[in-house]
Amino acid sequence: MPETGSKVMTAREAVRRFVNDGDHCVIGNYTVGTCAELVFEVIRQGRKGLTLYSQSGVFDVEVLVAAGCADRLVTTYVYRAGGREGGSAVERAIKGGTLQIEDYTNFQYNARMVAGMHGFSFMQVLESTMATDLFRKRSFLGDTKYQVIDCPYTGKRVLTVPAANPDVCIVHVQRCDRQGNAQYWGALGSVAAAALASRRIIVSCEEIVEHDIIRSSPHLTIIPSYRVDAVVEVPWGAHPTEVLGYYNLDRTAYAMFFIQDMKAEGCRAWMDEWIYGCATRQDYIDHYVAKYGAGNLDALRARAYYSAPANYGAAFDSCWDARGRERTMGVTLEELEKTMESKGVFYG
Amino acid sequence: MARKYTLDELLIITAAREIHDGDNVILGVGLPTTAGAMAKSLHAPNATLMMESGIIDFKPNVPPNHIADANSCRGFSYATDLFSMFTMTYRGYIDVCFLGVAQIDRYGNINTTVIGDYYNPTMRLPGSGGACDFMSYAKHTVLTMRGGEFVNRLDYFTSPGYLEGGDSRERSGLFPNGTGPSMLLTTKGIFRFDGETRELYLAKVHPGVTVESIKQDIPWELKIAKDLSETDPPSDEEVEFIRRFAPTESVGRKLMYELAFKYAIQKAQARQQKN
Repeated sequence: MPETGSKVMTAREAVRRFVNDGDHCVIGNYTVGTCAELVFEVIRQGRKGLTLYSQSGVFDVEVLVAAGCADRLVTTYVYRAGGREGGSAVERAIKGGTLQIEDYTNFQYNARMVAGMHGFSFMQVLESTMATDLFRKRSFLGDTKYQVIDCPYTGKRVLTVPAANPDVCIVHVQRCDRQGNAQYWGALGSVAAAALASRRIIVSCEEIVEHDIIRSSPHLTIIPSYRVDAVVEVPWGAHPTEVLGYYNLDRTAYAMFFIQDMKAEGCRAWMDEWIYGCATRQDYIDHYVAKYGAGNLDALRARAYYSAPANYGAAFDSCWDARGRERTMGVTLEELEKTMESKGVFYG
Repeated sequence: MARKYTLDELLIITAAREIHDGDNVILGVGLPTTAGAMAKSLHAPNATLMMESGIIDFKPNVPPNHIADANSCRGFSYATDLFSMFTMTYRGYIDVCFLGVAQIDRYGNINTTVIGDYYNPTMRLPGSGGACDFMSYAKHTVLTMRGGEFVNRLDYFTSPGYLEGGDSRERSGLFPNGTGPSMLLTTKGIFRFDGETRELYLAKVHPGVTVESIKQDIPWELKIAKDLSETDPPSDEEVEFIRRFAPTESVGRKLMYELAFKYAIQKAQARQQKN
């Protein structure tokens, strides 16, 4: 039978079809391998009113907030460009009254996704936070940021967080097949939970591979195809962040962003140049090469250090041996059917 | 004559000495990862270095850019997820963690979230990240403060030290006994925490720093160790390691940017000439 069910499409089509105004949208990647092209496409299409979830927002959250796509942010970490003298889009938006933020610890944020991923309504988290302002100071979630319950087994007070089930997850991985089996390795972080908690999933990848590659390495698959809505192939799709096995962090490009991000005008100019000024990732890369030279990009390419293959092989793949005899009963199919007839096991 | 060293090198090396052979260590980005790399190479070869992104038992070849930087090492022993990283901390398997500080009070409680009002901030800082949970359940926490400040009252209470001092941390019932901050390292000296009152006191001063200048930074009457001494100087071997492993950290951020900027311009000019 021919291969069916390809979900391959462009970033433009994926975002158009699966990210809506007002969605709860989670950035699946954690610090590394950021789904930069999907983030850029959300911005280019001018999505509004997102409640944005980000485990550890760095430049991805900065540009989404600067572009006015999100008015609520659930996170654990806000990047600040340039230290005390610097600033960030998130800080500017909080001060300007256009963004509300709800702070969690890394574990609590992830626990909300893990609860959502498994279909639970809440998750137990580490109780020490009850001593802190994380517990006392709440934003738009109010009472539903945390609840304290008594453990029915020990009687101890237990701190809990509610499950999160975002409408859509955008996530970048190393490789994926056309049906959406997404393979990711390296710093696992909270990537799988963010994706699996969500109702819709857009996967971008460095390369699309044949299904057989996936079958022979299922331990690398973090999202199964039946959960995925769109597959987008974008080489350099995480630049200027890094993708293990493909390329390193581009420190120069990253630093250039953060120098500009210290001020609102700078951030806007950066976005005009690299997001609005580049219709696709290919345009972005072409612009980069024209500006900095292909050598800068080549210098980032990963050298190979392959994982040792895990043997997924078995002793045989048929009940019938090379002589056509069934392995347990020692007879051929013809002999077996004769015996079945003579023993009267056939129905009717 | 002993090899000359920078303040950044002294801080990294002092932090590294808090890691003991066999420790399970959680490393944050920057100073801690370099300290961890030094400890593993020089005096704690059996330490297990971890980052909260689930990278466990790694040995960096270059300083990691952040806590999910698997490009900094050649593989690692155990790839787990963030959830398991914190539950193993909760269960008591982490010996030492390192955290940066923006504001600290006299009992080692920490603010890394905001300066000013939380809802209307003067300056928004990173937030908790992993800090609150690590500081609660790791056996020891080493605090580092380079640009931060001592305050009587935190603008925001992000991560728990010894709460109101004395046995208040234990009495709260929220923390395993024996956990809490063990040291604060600043650009001027080393502070530790009194076994009874849990108040921080000055234990060592860095070479060339006066106690008076340290007192000026602190809005309460600072306690000082009876056996106050000078911070132990780095050995030549330690300095050599840091300079080879993390030259950009040896020189400090300012000089690093100056040299990097110059180099970038040189490269751009060379490219233009070729065209």
